Amino acid sequence: MGQSSKPSEITAGGNDRPLHDTIKSYPLINELQEVTITRSIVELRKKTESMNIETVSSTFIRRNLGGSLMKSLERFPGIKTIGIGSGQSKPLIRGLGFNRVVVIDNGVKHEGQQWGADHGLEIDQFAADEIELIKGAASFIYGSGAIGGIIDVKPPHIPAPQTLGGSIDLIGKTNNNLYGTSVNLFGRKQHLFFDARLTYQSYGDYRVPTDRVYVYNYAVDLYKNYLRNTAGHESGLHFNAGYIDDHFSNIFYISNTRMKSGFFANAHGLEPRNINAELHDVSPRDILMPSQEVNHFKIINRSVYQLGVHQYEAELSYQNNFRQEFSQYINHGYMPPVYPDTMRIPINLEREFDKQVYSLNLRDQMVLGKHRLTVGLNGEYQQNDINGWTFLIPAFKQTTGGIFIYDKFQLNDRMLLHGAIRYDYARIRMYKYTDWFNSEINEGGNMISQNLVRASDLNRSFHSLVWSAGLNYNLGKIAFKANVGKSFRVPIAKELGANGVNYHYFSYERGDSALSPEQSYQADLSLGWNEQNWSVQVSPFYNYFPNYIYLNPTADHDYYYGAGNQVFQYAQSQIMRYGGEIQLKWKFLKNLSTELLGEYLYSEQLSGDKKGYTLPFSPPVTGLLNFTWSPEINSLLKNNYLSLDYRVAAAQNNIVPPEKKTPGYQIVNVQAGTEFNLYGQQIMVSLQAQNLLNTRYMNHTSFYRLIELPEAGRSIILALKIPFLIGSPTMNINNNN
Amino acid sequence: MKKQLTGLFLILVMAISACKKDSQPEIDTEYPEIDITGTNAFPKQCATIKRGETFIFSVILQDNAELGSISIDIHHNFDQHTHSTEVKSCDLDPIKIPENPFLLIQSYDIPENLKVFEIEQEVSVPVGVDLGDYHFMIRLTDKEGWQTIKGLSIKITD
Repeated sequence: MGQSSKPSEITAGGNDRPLHDTIKSYPLINELQEVTITRSIVELRKKTESMNIETVSSTFIRRNLGGSLMKSLERFPGIKTIGIGSGQSKPLIRGLGFNRVVVIDNGVKHEGQQWGADHGLEIDQFAADEIELIKGAASFIYGSGAIGGIIDVKPPHIPAPQTLGGSIDLIGKTNNNLYGTSVNLFGRKQHLFFDARLTYQSYGDYRVPTDRVYVYNYAVDLYKNYLRNTAGHESGLHFNAGYIDDHFSNIFYISNTRMKSGFFANAHGLEPRNINAELHDVSPRDILMPSQEVNHFKIINRSVYQLGVHQYEAELSYQNNFRQEFSQYINHGYMPPVYPDTMRIPINLEREFDKQVYSLNLRDQMVLGKHRLTVGLNGEYQQNDINGWTFLIPAFKQTTGGIFIYDKFQLNDRMLLHGAIRYDYARIRMYKYTDWFNSEINEGGNMISQNLVRASDLNRSFHSLVWSAGLNYNLGKIAFKANVGKSFRVPIAKELGANGVNYHYFSYERGDSALSPEQSYQADLSLGWNEQNWSVQVSPFYNYFPNYIYLNPTADHDYYYGAGNQVFQYAQSQIMRYGGEIQLKWKFLKNLSTELLGEYLYSEQLSGDKKGYTLPFSPPVTGLLNFTWSPEINSLLKNNYLSLDYRVAAAQNNIVPPEKKTPGYQIVNVQAGTEFNLYGQQIMVSLQAQNLLNTRYMNHTSFYRLIELPEAGRSIILALKIPFLIGSPTMNINNNN
Repeated sequence: MKKQLTGLFLILVMAISACKKDSQPEIDTEYPEIDITGTNAFPKQCATIKRGETFIFSVILQDNAELGSISIDIHHNFDQHTHSTEVKSCDLDPIKIPENPFLLIQSYDIPENLKVFEIEQEVSVPVGVDLGDYHFMIRLTDKEGWQTIKGLSIKITD
């Protein structure tokens, strides 16, 4: 069997992409062996990284499949999502999200419009083979923004030599009548391989356990419990191909993800909307306005070259994130009552963002005695164009570059020391934007009508020096790790240059062009104790920001630029945060095990206008109690499981304007599954009941919480994976069975 | 050696996780209130306003700590794009295209250090504006930045 992993190569990971990716055989070919090897790699990664790392397999994703990748990962303590509706969500790691979490896809930073709470993450969860979650700061490797943590979507495994095969995933979901499929085809000669995937998912409006919701005091009746216009569909196209041998590999990863989804029609943001209910209720699958459409195209070329003690790695990439938001034209503020027919912007195009991103990563990992040294360089260029009849952020161009050096020193058998230092330079150039309509402004007592300038040309550059130090101490069953470090984030265009009205939120957002780069100091600890039948892991952290950038809702209304709306001012304040996660596992019988997961987070603003308040989107204390029964039924059904998750979330009463206190809740999820052999192929079936008791609850970090919309009701999810092997050396198959 | 180390680590972990402050600072988490139930309050939901005349905008504003500022916005709803924030619905005229709709965006100061304030402001409706359905939006903040919104449906008539 082509399983050629050598221990030395497995550990060759260093700080990021381990070489084992390129050597491991395809999981379908040898599932059992793969699982064992993956586990040992995961354990090794945990023991040799001073940061808090969790590895997620595609099996986990399949068993816990949610409406989006992040929803599927939400079971991990410390990981939550900020989302809207059933298909759009973005990561929230230990309470930090948006531009403070970096998503890495095939080695490259994923860049979209991360600042928007109603924007999802443009990643296809079926294409994710393995994901690494890093909780805590990691700016020293990933640069600006990696303050809260990293979601690292690893490249798919490379197929074993001389194989041709694939798989078909099928998924169905009852709550929003989702159906979807993902078809994969891969093949490899000796050195050349390809891996192609096509994913399509379509879902209808999702259902909530109530037939009436209140937008303020106005009662909105829901037709058959459907949240009007929350339907959507998405597609993903992936093609990876390249060359691989023992010392060199060069692989192209090309993908295009497209999503379209509607927003709840009875409110746009916080603004109550009158709608033609009959029109909306004809079909729960149609997508009317308001809606959003996003297309993300990505091409990455990745090379790895081993020479002596060196391993050289390079990633070169281009991304295009094209987002459009549609809404009927409504003359907010001073906009003309009738949309002028001379306008070149389409009447329904409320906002558009078109971002082009070019990036380059270079790394050299070298083994020098007991030192494993990595030096690296990252460069990125972004261009963001805007369109639409409302203005929120200016167009900009941004160039960033960073160099780092990271040393991992094996002091003795038990102790590993880590040290890193990084320097970054960033330059952002923003472009002037003038309203297309006149506003009434008061100049020296006279009312005059003029087009307001919403953003001025602006040039800013930033420098930053960050560092990190850590240690691992492994003694038998005990694994201890500690890490301290400084991270940073360059202010984004919205924070520097916003001067627009977000009419649907009744907010006038005012940027501050003088903001300095946000800095964060964080200390992380982790203590793990692994016995044969039980394990414990406790991971507390402490985090301090001298200048956290925060959108502060003030007491003022602005008559001129704000069209009478409340002023939300970007400001910087001192922040203290601490918290942690706990994981307990106990296998009390041969086939029965239990798990307890918990997380706690406290944030407080230590200075500024909101001194004493928390930060927005602070997740409440949550706990998860799981029981899993893994019966051995017979030789035909393998990997059977029946698992029950009891999730408890405490009330979140620690809030900051414009949030609302969210009551606690308890929900029950059930997962079950099996694998059986059909014509020599291992078919995997997984069944889930999410929110089994159809509990009505609100999620504090959900965007719809502000207008009091409950989360989705009961949903039964059936997922099927049918792998197939078209051609392979007979040896492989014989080995397998 | 092994036991000592374990003990030391456990103490460290507990020390860090025990860094919780005993006294939480008092923070205000209450939204201000716009009271339109009083007999003097105007406009109320489904109220009628005369074109070419003035009316007194009057509501009682309250907050548990300190009021911030208030802003009003009167805009047409001829296309029936929004509904009010109120329980009661009003009769709407047929949908029509605006020609010269009335638009008023105005913010008012609230004197400092007040928990209750009755605002009384004269608003005049010009002669030439379109008749029909309008929205009367009231936005009230408190000092801490909590904002309460009220959207009333009103009619401008002759």
